[in-house]
Amino acid sequence: MDESIIKINNLVKKYRRFKKKEGIRGSLASLWKRKYEERIAINHIDLSVNEGEFTGLIGPNGAGKTTLIKMMTGIIAPSGGSIEVMGYYPNDLKNSFKKQYAVVMGQKSQLFFELTVNDTLRLFKEIYEMPVKEYQESRDYFINLFGVKDIMDVQVRALSLGERMKMELLAALLHNPRILFLDEPTIGLDAVASKQIRGFLKEVNKQRGTTIILVSHYMEDIKSLCQRTVVINNGIKVFDGKTDGLFAKYQKNKKLHVTFQNPPGDINFKTKLISVYEESPYKKVYEVAKQDVKALLTEITEYGLKDIIIEEEETGTIVERIYKEGGVNCV
Amino acid sequence: MGNLRKNIRVLKEMVYLRFHRMVVSRLDFFAPFFIDGILFVVQLLAFNVVYSNVDKIGTWGHGEMVLYIGTFSLINAINMVVYFFGVNGIPSKIKSGELDLYLSKPVSPLFHLSFEKTSPGSLPLAAMGICIILYGASILDVKPGIAQIIQYIFWVLVMSVLYYDMEVIIRSVPLYTVSMARMEQIEEVGIDLCMKLPGTAFYGIYKVIFYIILPYGIMATLPVQSIISEMDLWTGIYGIFIVIIFSCITCAVWKYGLKHYNSASS
Repeated sequence: MDESIIKINNLVKKYRRFKKKEGIRGSLASLWKRKYEERIAINHIDLSVNEGEFTGLIGPNGAGKTTLIKMMTGIIAPSGGSIEVMGYYPNDLKNSFKKQYAVVMGQKSQLFFELTVNDTLRLFKEIYEMPVKEYQESRDYFINLFGVKDIMDVQVRALSLGERMKMELLAALLHNPRILFLDEPTIGLDAVASKQIRGFLKEVNKQRGTTIILVSHYMEDIKSLCQRTVVINNGIKVFDGKTDGLFAKYQKNKKLHVTFQNPPGDINFKTKLISVYEESPYKKVYEVAKQDVKALLTEITEYGLKDIIIEEEETGTIVERIYKEGGVNCV
Repeated sequence: MGNLRKNIRVLKEMVYLRFHRMVVSRLDFFAPFFIDGILFVVQLLAFNVVYSNVDKIGTWGHGEMVLYIGTFSLINAINMVVYFFGVNGIPSKIKSGELDLYLSKPVSPLFHLSFEKTSPGSLPLAAMGICIILYGASILDVKPGIAQIIQYIFWVLVMSVLYYDMEVIIRSVPLYTVSMARMEQIEEVGIDLCMKLPGTAFYGIYKVIFYIILPYGIMATLPVQSIISEMDLWTGIYGIFIVIIFSCITCAVWKYGLKHYNSASS
């Protein structure tokens, strides 16, 4: 039996961009004869997502991740191909479809800043036609899960960024959607708040069986939450497979930000370094192969270590590597 | 029917939230009373200067003109109280991509946008409009029966719909193009002119412009014609026809626009 809740075949989204030559002559000429160029934001993508899956969507800026989310939610119409979400064509914008999903955009708030979250939730209760009992139970469940009982009556504008994101999630999940689309939910959050948000999302996916599509630039979000990852670059799907597999295969190096107690001078490591990014008397940044991290750490500790940060490779680097190695792994 | 009930409940909640938002800031709450009041008095003074020096405009004398100004003020007040601030925000929400959030909610985005910023602070304007209407009626010595009053209220409401249609059409332009190309100025100029001159004063090309293309000329004229028993059957049919046509255009412009909406990149 086909369990797919999202079915996308050969999906295409094209935009028309206005182009003109520089200077006043170019501007005047464009008044009479306009030139447009076509930009393909999504280029023949196939994708299917099963109910209850937690899928990560990654790629560099302008890759087409948000465009794909917008087409799945019906916000924009595709230029070609087919898309079916929960049996609906999203851009028909049917209320019965919109009742079954929620979308959280890290940079756009759905809360009223002058009011409290409790006030906003009252409007959502009416918009989603929730019976009083169901509304109260759902609200209480998420208030307890997120631990936000004390700030429900605080003006939204007075909340910290982390608290506000918890409230955005609460508002989005209130009507118990089948699919939750998240576009950069941890953007700008500190490590503690990001970790909390990840914990809540994991819980919601596990306890409520909510299908979650997560767009994030943070590898930590993807690694700790998504069983499956889809990588998009220039509108093309370059990887679709298990997250563990993606990182094992394509995340080859790590960056070590090392601070020493005393200047160690020139060090000749036995471990092979990929590159050295920074070299000041007290602080050095090394890039090393993943399997050599342990060996390098052992060597570094001999020089009086004060602090160390181990950084994962950026999305862009991974995408570049997938591209170079030409491997499209699809589930 | 179920949808209507839902929309009424959502509207009730939006009005409640709007009121809450206004009382949170004392300035937001009290400012509209003063600002709208001052603007209204300035307008009245200007009218007073003009009409104290003019006996007739078209076929209408002083009494009809007072009735006309009162009616236009009332329609304008309904616009300010109910939908103006919501509809006025549509272009900026399209440009910023904020419209995305409205499109993802299971309620009509246009309904949500139009009525989320009701302005109870503009209610005194409606009261002032009614006072002027009563004053105009007393000058003309018009004593309308219940049927005539109902007819008048009907026309005021129908013309408020036309006013709404015009506002939405103009503010839907950014769904198709990047720039608004100062389209609001057409509205400003049209309303400004038609607030001073009734539709009965227009002839020739001006009548075509303000009765058909930009029908601001009929907005207060028809209700006044109905209460002073000057409206014939064909004028009534024409008024209804124009409102239906413009409502259909509004629907088409909005729906077709949403199909073309590309959303600002985040």
